[in-house]
Parts: sequence; C-alpha cells; structure tokens
Amino acid sequence: MKYDSIIIGGGLSGLTAGIRLVSAGKKVAIITSGQSALHFSSGSMSLLNRIDGRQVCDPLQAIATLPPSHPYQKIGVGNIHDFAAEATMILRRAGLDVEGSPEAHRYCLTPFGVWQPAWLTVKDIASCSHPSRCTWRKAAIVNFKGYLDFHPGYLADGLATAGIASESYEIELPQLAALRKSCSGMRAASMARILEGKAVSDLAQAIRKIKSDADVLLLPAVVGLRSDAPANLLASLVDITVRYVPVIPMSVTGVRAEFLMRRRFESLGGAYFLGDSVNKGNFENNRLISVNTVNLGETPLRADEFLIATGSFFSQGLVAKPDAVIEPVFGLDVVQSEKRTSRCDIDFFAPQPYMRFGVVTDSRFRVSRNGSVVTNLRAVGSILSGADSLNEGSGAGIALLTAVAAARQILQ
Amino acid sequence: MVCRAALLMKNNQSDQHYDVIIIGAGATGAGTARDCAMRGLKVLLVERFDFTAGATGRNHGLLHSGARYAVTDRESAAECIRENMILRKIARHCVEETGGIFVTLPDDDLAYQATFVEACRNAGIEAEIIDPAEARRIEPAVNPDIIGAVKVPDGAVDPFRLTTANAIAAQRNGAHILTYHEVTALNISHQRVCGVTLRDQRTGGSRRVDADLVINAAGIWGHGICRLAGVDVNMFPAKGALLIFGHRVNNIVINRCRKPADADILVPGDTISLIGTTSSRIPYDQVDNMEVTPEEVDILLREGSRIAPSLATTRILRAYAGVRPLVASDDDPSGRSISRGIVCLDHALRDGLEGFITITGGKLMTYRLMAEWATDMACRKLGRSEKCRTATTPLPGSDKSDKDAPVSHGKRHIIELTTDHKAALGRHGSMTPDIGLDTNNDALVCECEEVSVGEIRYAVRKLHANNLVNLRRRTRLGMGTCQGCLCASRAAAILGDELNDRPHALRDLCNFLNERWKGMFPVAWGQTLVEAQFSSWLYKGVCGLDPQLIPSGQGHTTETPTHPVANPGNPDRKNSEQ
Amino acid sequence: MEYQVKNISRDNFEQCIKCTICTVYCPVLSVNPLYPGPKQAGPDGERYRLKAPEFYDKALKMCLNCKRCEVACPSGVRIGDIIQNARIRYDRHPVSLRDRMLASTDEMGAVATKIAPVVNTMLRLGPVKTLMHHIVGIDSRRTFPAYASQTFEHWMNSGAPDQNPFRRQVSYFHGCYVNYNNPALGRDFVTLMNAIGYGVRLLEHERCCGVAKIANRLIGQARRDAEKNLHAIRNSVADGRIVLGTSSTCIFTMRDEYPHILHLDNHDVRDSILLATRFIHQLVDAGNVRLVFRREWKKRVAYHVPCHMQRMGWAVHSLELLKMIPGLELIPIEPGCCGISGTYGFKKENYATSQAVGAELFDSIRGAGVDIVASDCETCKWQIEMSAGVPVENPVSILASALDIDATRRANDI
Repeated sequence: MKYDSIIIGGGLSGLTAGIRLVSAGKKVAIITSGQSALHFSSGSMSLLNRIDGRQVCDPLQAIATLPPSHPYQKIGVGNIHDFAAEATMILRRAGLDVEGSPEAHRYCLTPFGVWQPAWLTVKDIASCSHPSRCTWRKAAIVNFKGYLDFHPGYLADGLATAGIASESYEIELPQLAALRKSCSGMRAASMARILEGKAVSDLAQAIRKIKSDADVLLLPAVVGLRSDAPANLLASLVDITVRYVPVIPMSVTGVRAEFLMRRRFESLGGAYFLGDSVNKGNFENNRLISVNTVNLGETPLRADEFLIATGSFFSQGLVAKPDAVIEPVFGLDVVQSEKRTSRCDIDFFAPQPYMRFGVVTDSRFRVSRNGSVVTNLRAVGSILSGADSLNEGSGAGIALLTAVAAARQILQ
Repeated sequence: MVCRAALLMKNNQSDQHYDVIIIGAGATGAGTARDCAMRGLKVLLVERFDFTAGATGRNHGLLHSGARYAVTDRESAAECIRENMILRKIARHCVEETGGIFVTLPDDDLAYQATFVEACRNAGIEAEIIDPAEARRIEPAVNPDIIGAVKVPDGAVDPFRLTTANAIAAQRNGAHILTYHEVTALNISHQRVCGVTLRDQRTGGSRRVDADLVINAAGIWGHGICRLAGVDVNMFPAKGALLIFGHRVNNIVINRCRKPADADILVPGDTISLIGTTSSRIPYDQVDNMEVTPEEVDILLREGSRIAPSLATTRILRAYAGVRPLVASDDDPSGRSISRGIVCLDHALRDGLEGFITITGGKLMTYRLMAEWATDMACRKLGRSEKCRTATTPLPGSDKSDKDAPVSHGKRHIIELTTDHKAALGRHGSMTPDIGLDTNNDALVCECEEVSVGEIRYAVRKLHANNLVNLRRRTRLGMGTCQGCLCASRAAAILGDELNDRPHALRDLCNFLNERWKGMFPVAWGQTLVEAQFSSWLYKGVCGLDPQLIPSGQGHTTETPTHPVANPGNPDRKNSEQ
Repeated sequence: MEYQVKNISRDNFEQCIKCTICTVYCPVLSVNPLYPGPKQAGPDGERYRLKAPEFYDKALKMCLNCKRCEVACPSGVRIGDIIQNARIRYDRHPVSLRDRMLASTDEMGAVATKIAPVVNTMLRLGPVKTLMHHIVGIDSRRTFPAYASQTFEHWMNSGAPDQNPFRRQVSYFHGCYVNYNNPALGRDFVTLMNAIGYGVRLLEHERCCGVAKIANRLIGQARRDAEKNLHAIRNSVADGRIVLGTSSTCIFTMRDEYPHILHLDNHDVRDSILLATRFIHQLVDAGNVRLVFRREWKKRVAYHVPCHMQRMGWAVHSLELLKMIPGLELIPIEPGCCGISGTYGFKKENYATSQAVGAELFDSIRGAGVDIVASDCETCKWQIEMSAGVPVENPVSILASALDIDATRRANDI
C-alpha cells in the first residue's frame, strides 16, 4: 500500500502532523501500537514553564534563550508564534475547545491543588489568567461518593493560596452506585461513560440542591469521554458556573482529545492503523522506502515521507536495555549517557538525565542512522532529544509545534 | 479527628515507670515485648522509626529450615528447624509452607550433597534426596541442568506481618508502644540503667522514661545503644543485597547446595520472588546509608540465573540491601563464617552495669527464641517466675481458624470472595473482619497488591501506621508492579484525611515516591524505567508535586524527621526495602 | 551485561505498567461493573493466581475475548490471552451441557442440516425457545441462524463449477457457518476467486476452527480439531495452496489462538492462513489482479470492524476493496464491539450484557440509513441483523454481487 506520508505513532504529535498533512490533501497513514500517552495528560498543554528550575513568565521570550539542540530552536524562534496559532486551530477544528495564547500563561489547578501554568486549556477546565487575579470568591468543591482520585481537601488548600474560600460537598448518584459494586469500579473513564443524558440531569438536580453562595462549582473532570456534550448539558441545567479539575489519570479530557483528533484525522481521509507496530524499515541510499508491520506482515507500506512520533520510554519510542538505550523501530542514533549509573538521579524529584534522551536529529528534524541522516524520516514529539520536557513543562508544546514544523517541511 | 498516635502517647504519659523498656521494634524487639507482656511485665517498646525499619524489613523473608547452616553451624541449624515448626503453628498467616530444595549445579561438587544431608539429619532437619527430574517437576523454574536435589522444609515468612502481629500481641497484653521515638540516652545512676531518654521524632521534644530494666534489641544499631551506656559490643555490619522480581518465578524455595555464597537463595514471597544475597563488609557509619551497586546487581543476576534461568529475562521491580546484625568474633572479611547464633548479654555480668540486657546476633527465624532468652534473663533479674508461653500461643491473626472468621460477601453474588478480600485474608488472617470490607470500604487503593480503602484505614487506626512507608509495611501498598505509581496518591489523600494533616501527607507522598524510586534506581531499565517515567509524569507533571513547595507542618513523622537529629541516618528514607 | 536484555513473561503480562488504558476500551466493563476489567482480570490477577490458584475469580467468564484491550495496550500485553488462559487453567467447574451444545458448532451443524426445515421451524417456535431458555439456558430473545439444507461441502463436491482448469489454486477454510448456515457466502467466494483466476479446493477433513470450544473451555476437543486443521493446512501449503477464509474469527483463531491459547506451534504455516479480502487486496494493490465492477450496482454500505478483525489489523483490506466499488457509498459508523462474541450472547446470563455492549453500534447503524452493513464475521452478522434490523453481508459477498464477472475475467486474461 502506498501513501504520501506515513506517521509512526498516534499520540498528540503524530495525530497533529497527520491532521495537518491530510488537510493539505495528502494521503496519510498513522500506525500506532496501542493508545497514547494523551490518556494521562491533564487537559492543559504547556509551552514552556521552567528553564533550569526557574519559572518562565514569558514563554516566547524564554524560548530564545534555549540551547541550539533544543527542539524549539530547531523550529526557529521566529516561527513559534505562528506554529502555535496553527496548532491551536488544528485542535479547535478537531472539536477540542481550547483557549490560551503563547504570550502569557494561564493557570490551572492540579489534582493536588497546585496552580500550574499552561499555554492552552480545554474549555471548562478550572483555570484563570493568574491565581492572584482569579475572579472567584468562593468555590463549592463537589466529589462523588466513593471516588478516590479527586481530593477536595487539597483543592481547598490550593484555592486558599489564591485567597479563594471553598466548601466541599459529596454527591451520591444512583447511576454511579452500580460502579461501586466493583472494588475498582469508581475510576474516571467508567464514571464518564455513565455521566451522560439522564445521569447528567440527576447530577444537575443534586447540584441545585446545594445551598451555597459560591460563585463556581468545581467537579472532578470525569465528564465527557467523547465530546463536551455532557458538560454543556450540565451547564445548561444549573445556574452556577461549573468548572472541572483534572484527576489522577486516567484523564477523561485526554481520552476525549485523542478520540476527537483521531476522528478528525479519519474523517479527512487518513488511515489509522491501531494496535499495529512497525517492525522493519526498508532503506535505500539513506531514504526510507517502506515499512513492514506486525499485522500486515510481508505487505509493505510505502511512502515518500515518514515521521516517527513514537514517544519516549512510556510509549516504547525509546527502550532502555541495561547497558544502552535504543530506538527499537529503526535503530536510530540516540543521545544518551555513557553508563547505566549516570542514566538517573537518585532523587526522584531532581531532573532525571534519562528524560533528555532521544533520537539525534538535524536542524530539520531528520533522524540519523549509523551516523548518516535519513533524508525522508523526521522525528517529532517526545522521542526527540535535547529537552527535558517534564521539568521544562514543554511536552505538549514540543509535541504540537514539532509536528506542525515537520508537516510544513514535508509540504514545502 | 483525633490523631491516633497522639492519643497513644497521651496514654503512655500517665505511666512513666515500666518494668522493662525494649529498644527496637524489629522482630526481636516486638517478640521480646510480646513475651515480657505475656509474662505479666509492664512493658514499653520504643522504636526510633517504624516497626521493621531495620534489618527485619530487609531480608529474604525465608522461613529457614536451618539446612543452610547445617554443615557450618549445627547449633543454629537446630534452632532454626525448631523455630520453623513453631512459626508454622503460631504465625500461620505470616507463613507460606512452600517447601524448599537444595540443588546441585553441574559445576558444584555433588559430594557435598552427602555431607549436607548428613548434617541436616544431625540437626533434626528432614532432608530427602530426590531425583533431579522430580525436582524439575515440583519446581519448573529450577535450572534443568541440575545434577542433584534435596528436599527440605523451607518456607516463606513475611517479616512485616510477623513483627506487627507480635506488636499487637504485646499491646493486647498491656504493653505500650512508641514508634518514632529515638533513645538519645540511657539514664544511668550508680552503675545501673534506670531508664531512657526519648526524643519524639514528630515534635523534637525530649523526655525521660524510667524502668527497672532496659533491653537493647536494636539489631545493628544496638552497637550505638551500647555506646550510650558506655559499653562496647563489637558488631560486624555485613551488607546483603537482594533483587525483587515482578512475579512469583518459583513456588518452592530454591537454594544452592554448596557452602553459603552469593545469590544462592531464591524465595517466593507473596506475589514476588526474591534472589539474594551478596555479602560485603561495610563500615559501621554506613549502616544507615546503603545503596545497591551495579556490581551487586550483576552478581545477583549472574548467580541467580544459574539457579533459575528465567531470572535473566524476568522483570525486576527493585533492589535493596540490609545489614546483618552479627556480633564480630574475628576478622572474617566475608562475615559468613561468623556464627549466626544468638547473643544474649547481661551487662551486669559482662560490664558491671546493672539493669541492661543486649539481645543480638541470631536471625529472623530465631527472633522468638531470642525474645525468650532475653525475657528469661529479664525475669530472672526482676525476680519473676512466669514461664514462656510464646511457642504455643498463636499470634493475633493466626489465633482463629480462617473458617471462623466471618466473611462479608457484600453485594457480589457472582463472586464468592473478591480478590482484595482474599488478599487481605492472606495479610491479616483472622484479624481481617476488623477491616470491615463493605461497599464503603472495599474500593481498591492499590490495584497491584489489592489493598482496599478499608485496609488502609484499619492500618492507620489500629496498626501504628502514620505514613505511607508504614502503610506499605502493614499492607503491601505500593509493593507491586507499579511501585506506588497509581496508588500512592490515593493512599496519601486517605492518610491526610485520617490524620487531618494534608501537608504532612503531601510531604510524605514525596518521600514515599523517593523511597520507591531508590529501589528502582539500581535496576532502571526496561519496564521498570518506563514505570518510573510514568510515575514522574503523574506526580511531577499532572499533579505538579514539588517537595520544596509544600508548606511545612507539625505533628507527624514523615520519613524524614521534621527536626534534625544527632544521628542523621533514617533507614526508612535512605535505604529502600521490599 | 548479558542479562535482562529482554523481559519475557507468559503472554507478556509483566510488560504491564498498570496504566489502565485497557479498562477504557473494555466493552464489558462499560456495561457491567461486576466484571473486574481487563487489567484486574488479566495481568493484575495473574500475579495472584501464580501465588495460589484460589485467587482465580469466576467473574473472568464475563470476558468477551474481543481483544480490544490488547489493541489498546501501549505495552504489548496480551491481556485477552491471559484471561482466556486463566479460565482454562484455573476454572475447575465442569462444562455444562448448554455450553457443550453451543460450542459444538460442527457436530450440531452436521445433524441440523440433515433435517434443516424441522430444526429451523423448531428454533423459531415460542415454546421451544422458552424451554431452551429455562432448561438449557439459551436466551429466548436470541434469533438462531437458520440451517441450510445442503452443506457447502456437499455443493463443492457435487454442484460447484469445475475448479481444475485454474492454473493457480487456493484452499478454502469455509468454517462451520458457511458450511451449515450460509453456503451462499462460500459460493460467492468461489465466484470471486474464479473470476480472478484462482481455483478453490476444500481442505481435507476441515474441522471447526475451535473458537467456540476455546470460549467454552473444551480445550481437549479444540486442540484435537486444531491439530487436524493444522495437518490439513500443512498439506495444502506443501501442495502450493495457501489457505483462505471468509470469517475473520476463524482465521484469527487459527493464526493466533492456536499458538497463544492452545499452545500449538503454527509458525510454519501462520503466514499462509489469510482472510480472503487480504489476499485479494494484496493482489490488486500489487497490480497483479484487476477487479471490474458493475456500474449499475449502487448501495449505501457501512463497514463494521469485527473485534478479531481489529486485532488482526486487517480491516484496511476489506475496506480498501469495498472502496473500489464505484457504486458503493461508504457511510461511517461508530466503531465498537457488537456484543455477541460467538456463543457468549446466546447464554441467558449474558444476554443483557451482550445487548448493552452493542447498543451504541446498533444506534449508529440505524441512524446511518444504509442498505447493508459489511462485516467479515458471521456472529456480528447475526447480532446486528437481529438487533439493528439491517441486513449484514460479508465483504466477499458484496464484492461478488457488485462484480462484473465477465469483465473481470477478461481484465485478468482468464
């Protein structure tokens, strides 16, 4: 089978590149082995929150100070603003209602009540332009009985740091009681499946019974697995503003993001091979000609351009052996530490050297293999070396912007 | 809500004078407290951190048949098999009767087998030579190339459960227990120890408690306790490293039939298997700060894979190391030829210091016997005549037949008993009904090890757990495949509510994640590194957790004492364990 | 270090990092909270079962074996296989008469086709259904597929066109459904293959693929059948005929369940067991075969991806072939499990779960306003036809009905 572009990896970066390319009329396939790390995202996306542990106030300005090996520098500092706008449009057109701009952070509450900066936040996620300027006076924090992954107490503490008063309530819905028959039943995705239609009306009724002078109601983000319809329904049925706070993943917002992006990609004509993995690349003169997959066996998938967006260790984009870190699909060149012992820091909360590992790319994100650049294979997203996206708070930004950059290069 | 630990302290404060104070809540200390309390003594058990924070929590969890010592140390071997049989009766819920085999590999000397079997029989250990084919049949994980096999009555014992059960028994017999209280001085007057000075690790506050007798059961740290009394017991710290594999590779204990050496015991325990140990002498000042080196990991894998080849490709969850509390008798660099025999010292006879006993040496297997010796000596000194009953009285958790334990079926008609209920039964035996596993309590906190909300609350309320590491020791929380990645946040939230101290729980969450990571660090490859990255994403990324940003609080011990202490070592935090 | 370069465990259960993605995509968990879910039933439970068999949880029988958990897993854990293997290894309850009946598609079919009119009438009668519901445990609301009065094998041996003239030959694994219930699909397959220049042979002594026996823990019988099939397949491959099927489930079972569940080594012939649409699409894609379709054939079609098709990753082949039909308007529907899972949905205790699992799909199909639904699996067909009221055809039948046979023959120089 022949495509214009084949993307290996169906996470945030792969889907973004896929949508960008397929919207430009290209015939595109995405091959992804399992669902992606988007399932663990909080529903907010950051561009750059910290450099060397210091908070960044103006992400665009701070990006200019990053070293040349950083993916943002390869994109080109001057391009960041435009590409960010393009990525935002891609998300919105997929049906993910995001707000925010690269010029200034928004701030979102984490499950433990920490105010965390973000570039884009999904609509209805509890966020504000700055905790000190938050317009809420008092919040009613509502949890569902028996739900363990949402912590009203910690949220109250976090709200208090911004001078926001709060009170906590617990709601017991008969529809959710069925889940509690199983000792692992009350988990975000299962609840989200139930919290639709009638259950949302019942929830609204329970909310209306809360007599509070709060001006915002905070719920765990366990509503809307596939669309924001249940949240909109709830909003229409209650008088108070409802906002959602991310929970300990599974992230319902993340599941929805992946679902919507995949649907967008497929509706534009993209082919999405879920649950398949590339197990062989066929190279000729530093070009990747075709790939073979586990499911399709000897049937090669050919393309002119390839993208590898297989992610970091979590998604098996990188694999750590005791003595070396490898890129398992093509055996691409990887930036890593010399010794096993220098891979990690013994302090869990310190920056971990392994987080910076990733594939070697040239200035146009083209990977190299045995020291030679592969001219039609680009890497995007968290498989890239040169950034500790966790400590920087740049994971989503790198995923989105490198995808746009690589897609543009392909289309040029 | 009233803090349970504080309540406990309050009760204790009204009783300032004890017959006996026991220092150290490892198996030996808890066992001694139980024995003393059962003989009617008024007992205070003090522990600077948590139950099992020392060597008790850092060993194989092997219910020794004694066979391993039969050739080199017949006396120890005989003690082992006697205690082995006793524990099977009194501590059923802590013991797995797996059986064990001693296998001879092609390059081992098969002639040793005869010596070994003879020595076992002399020590009273049933040792039966079986065909290698039979050994492969009963334990498919064993190296198929073995040329000899001997069956012995080894088993597995959970040291956490065992120690907790002893502490509960002591408490039921009137003993008081203070965890997170460090002995900073032995109060001596006229050549007599008449009590201890304690520092509360929570508040930093200090106070004196009087007693007629002080028993030093502090394991390797007993060396330091003796120093406080101005006497010298030369302990020999020998470090032993172990690896934990992700699931039960074997169901029978596999030993190597040769003179004891590195990595020659593979023990199945609960949901995992353990290979160990290495042995290396370390300076005394390092006993609180042990890291497993890459060389030790390599030795364990190399030698372990010889006993059970699948270890070479089985996921490793973590690595940890413990210190053998042996009393040095010579300069043996390996520390192995030192007797593992029990040392019970009456410092009045030895050093002219009254009111002070040190019980040390020995091993987990003989903790009860050590406790008996120490208590016998204490009774003698106190002029008491009650006899020891610990060998025949079942421990809490094993005191009723499991069948007697009423089991709530909840609403699940189709499942006779849920896995978490079965898991809790395994952990708490006949105490399980106290947990009350109904629909409000049976939601899982830890899915890997099937720990429910109810079990966590029970441990906080009834089992002296006030941080996540304590909870792990009581319940196996975070000991499974994900090493706390998914369950730590849930447990921390429950802990924060139970103790009504959220900042404490948050700081403690950070410490717990660090403690778990420390054990993963030496084996950070494959899915173990993936798990660590996942954990980092969740806690540092999604939750935005940063230990430096958490407000400091008062009143509860995290794994790092709130106030700096004279002895900087905190094994809870610095050394990883199971 | 030579150790730990790879981590190996039974059905990859140790690769699980407890991310819980599988639980989001489990169709049973979403409708029946009493099911512990793929993670708990699979890799989590496995650690406990290795400790003691008493930890086996009977709720595992609620698993549909749809393998959607495996498709979703980012770590390659064979979750469905872990659960099926645990059921086989630890469930000590004897297999009921009802389950034996349902599982014996082959034996029951052989009898039923002989007296098809009687059986078909009986199976539609209310009192019979009630009796079966209460006594046997087969849900009375379920519609049984009708039996044909002549088996496909009989047609191949007596009524089929001569297959000898074709230079290239394939073997056809027709499966129980084509043989006893829907020989028309088999005939369509023969028509299609003949049109592109392939002769079709039966395997010598084809047995049931075993999927129903595996699901009902009749492992001994399933293994015996599987061994016979593998023997026949090996002979066929040795004679230069690869083996094609039209049922995604039969093909999936022989390729993947044989090694993973029945622990039979099939690596020598696995690549020679293919779904017909994959084989044909590969030929077309490589330019070796041309398909010509009738202009006047016009239909609105939705393609439903059966779970095992999803697991094999071959939906693309059926879909690409259907897209080649000029008069076929492809209507997208929500992907998802239909809920029947072979014999699962026939059992009265599973009926409610079965219908709830498929509810979203049925709504989507009803709302799509299509003439037919295309699906490579016969049990999906029964379920969708019964529950959504829309006819379901195998893509091979659709291709055959839209094909301009003569033009195709000419295009391929037949």
